[in-house]
Amino acid sequence: MLKSIWELFNKEDLFECYQCARCTGSCPAAMVMKCYGPRETLLRCLNLGQEAVINDERVWYCTTCHVCEDRCPQEINISELLTAIFNLAAQRGNLPEKIKFGVDLIAKTGRSLIVNEKVLKDRQKLSLPPLDPLNIDEIEGILKKTGLNDAIELS
Amino acid sequence: MKYAFFLGCVIPVKYPGFEKATREVMKVLDIELVDLPFSCCPAPTNMKLAHYDTWLALAARNLCLAEEAGLSILAMCNGCINTLKEANLILKEDLQRRNQVNLALEGSGHCFNGTIEVKHLLDVLYKEIGLERIAEKVQHPLDGIRIGCHYGCHLYRPPRLMYPDELSEAASYVPVSMDQILTVLGAQPTQYSRKFLCCGSALGTNIDAQAANEITREKLQHMKKHRIEAVSVACPSCFSQFDRGQMMLERKHHDGFNLPTLYISQLLGLAFGLDRPNLGLGDHRISLQPILERVGRSS
Repeated sequence: MLKSIWELFNKEDLFECYQCARCTGSCPAAMVMKCYGPRETLLRCLNLGQEAVINDERVWYCTTCHVCEDRCPQEINISELLTAIFNLAAQRGNLPEKIKFGVDLIAKTGRSLIVNEKVLKDRQKLSLPPLDPLNIDEIEGILKKTGLNDAIELS
Repeated sequence: MKYAFFLGCVIPVKYPGFEKATREVMKVLDIELVDLPFSCCPAPTNMKLAHYDTWLALAARNLCLAEEAGLSILAMCNGCINTLKEANLILKEDLQRRNQVNLALEGSGHCFNGTIEVKHLLDVLYKEIGLERIAEKVQHPLDGIRIGCHYGCHLYRPPRLMYPDELSEAASYVPVSMDQILTVLGAQPTQYSRKFLCCGSALGTNIDAQAANEITREKLQHMKKHRIEAVSVACPSCFSQFDRGQMMLERKHHDGFNLPTLYISQLLGLAFGLDRPNLGLGDHRISLQPILERVGRSS
């Protein structure tokens, strides 16, 4: 069963929003992506409910720059609301492939990028220490306890 | 001074030159860097969005490694800073979350105790080492080059988590460290519109690279308007937007920006007169030649 977004974020905080749109006006993603903005996300959460929001691919347009929260005259912690939305969307299977790839790689190697021969050679040329494989048993043990695999479908 | 050196993923894999320059610059400034088996921070632009509890527990493991070594963390990447600072603050203040995380860490033999600090390279330079000591090491001043500083959002936002001590009741907070450091190096940090707005990176890496580049283009246009000659960054993701992104934008728009982008350690290294191989200049797509010529380091 998916949690309610209001268990993760205090709904009453959103009643402070008077839809001034300073957040959307500042949002870099809103500048380049059609039909997107934090104000709209927030309003849809209140009016349409979480299902309408977490199933929408557009939530992922956010660059996580936090400027919406920075400029909010009502001091709403918008980035916390967005993190809650992202987590619920991910559990619902609405997770961009590229994020899934990164998360999967961290789960398998402990790093979010692949360390191949070329990388090791480039580092050697600069006399930098090698990037040794990490203790993956330790990381897997932690992930088992936090329930990553139960929450999200990885490859 | 001695720090646990947090490499992150992007710098050691994609931009090892930044790591090289940082290690060399820190040698000049008598800072000892200790390598520990850190994992991905994990990134505020992937793991945190996918699964918060896993994000917090893996961040805690990294913090524990530094705690066990008795060292505070120095990180070179804004993503790493955003994750490690936030996790460190939350786990220091919220005992319920700390207990949950320590339960998850139990089998690994780690336990979060909240004994260390997390600092970005910029803050170590500006606050710990200080401008005076940096000035003493300058041998080749940067000739008044007009540099546009791009700090990157994850370094300081949200300020309530990144710089709680700098926040007064009413004001928000923006950093000044990079501008101050570059002034001491002999450059001319130059203001421009949209300075404190996003480079576009996460939209590009997660969803749509072309759209993200348009965000970067907006910033580049303002930089050009203010006759900026080079961009200085403190984050590998921002670097990628300004360097690789600029190359992709050029194919589409033919703006002719040609704005060289450098990581802050490389600019320090140039001013300190470090040898070319120690500056790690091999990962740049936009030519650095105009800048190197200006400071007499083109050969």
